[in-house]
Amino acid sequence: MEPIRPAPRVPERGDAGLDGLVTLAGWGDQAAFEAVYDRVAAPVFGLIRRVLRDSAQAEEVAQETLLEVWRTAARFDPARGAALAWIMTIAHRRAVDRVRSEAAAAAREARAASAPVLADQVAEAVESSLEAERVSRCLDGLTELQRESITLAYYSGYSYPQVASALGVALGTVKTRIRDGLKRLRDCLGVSW
Amino acid sequence: MRLPRFPLRRDPHVLAGAYALDALDAGERARFERHLASCRTCPGEVRGYAATAAVLGLAAAAAPPPALKGRVLDAVAALGSARSDDAAIAAVLSAPDARIASAATSAGGTATVVASRHGGTMVFTSSGLPALPPTHVYELWFIGSAGVRPAGLVPPVRPAPAGPPGPAARSGATAPVLASGLSADDSVGVTVEPSGGTSAPTTTPIVVLSLPA
Repeated sequence: MEPIRPAPRVPERGDAGLDGLVTLAGWGDQAAFEAVYDRVAAPVFGLIRRVLRDSAQAEEVAQETLLEVWRTAARFDPARGAALAWIMTIAHRRAVDRVRSEAAAAAREARAASAPVLADQVAEAVESSLEAERVSRCLDGLTELQRESITLAYYSGYSYPQVASALGVALGTVKTRIRDGLKRLRDCLGVSW
Repeated sequence: MRLPRFPLRRDPHVLAGAYALDALDAGERARFERHLASCRTCPGEVRGYAATAAVLGLAAAAAPPPALKGRVLDAVAALGSARSDDAAIAAVLSAPDARIASAATSAGGTATVVASRHGGTMVFTSSGLPALPPTHVYELWFIGSAGVRPAGLVPPVRPAPAGPPGPAARSGATAPVLASGLSADDSVGVTVEPSGGTSAPTTTPIVVLSLPA
């Protein structure tokens, strides 16, 4: 006789949360994916634009990222971390890949020479969310070297050797400062994983 | 004189932070991932850092241009229709090296390509392309250093399904086209050609999709 097994828990769209919505999208549910889009498009686009410092390229990379989320949603495993972290990891990886591709870097430098973008970003950072406030408070709690190493790596897409040369410190120092800084940030932000 | 630094393999753990921030080059990333597979404590540590990084990312949130949503959902609708029983198509869509490119065409609608460079194959789908008279057809092209080569004909545009509007009911999609012969540096173009297709394009492409590296 067949043992009685509990039916797999099927996420409901209403209460599913992002993890459940991504799971539904992985089963081909396009309406669930639309809800995923509505929740993550701004963080995905904003992060990518921060790294690339170019809205047009950021839009392309955000589109690639969101389509990759759709395409690979079936492989998302909530047991290995939250959907938001999974999606932001894809977004950051793609932004970094783009920033390190030489053609894009050259184009960006040419534009950076002609257009000041930093002022815009500061204005936006100021008007953005509570989350931003929390992050900036926790960043303030790091040592200067930890903070600069993490922000150059994450928000500017620098590799750690690039961080080391920008800050004029040894490679090993950057590796440990990034790790120690992330540990402190994680605790300060109360991140659960 | 300074002593040589410890090589990576002596203490790979220290790279967990740099790994979570994508600050390793491709070679180190691959080596760290091999270490990750056999390390008991690293996966949890990396997960925590990735979740922390995600919060840093949230702090940079900014609304994307409104048009992005339509383009992404159009591409998803087209890919949804390509999730077919065809094993060869499914293989491309799930290839580990699969890349997606999607863009609006100058004729209207959205063209989407999923390609596996390793397999040299791609799947083309579209939604919202205007239907053509029977005398004409949409033809696909591989465009790269190997020249411009025909990559197949797009089946006729199906009418939009009836029913309430929703992502799945966006304007007519075309059935997926599978093509092989994709070279490493190829883009994929679409032109309008006389029915039956041609061996070289005779009109300007309505879209050229370049695939992310």
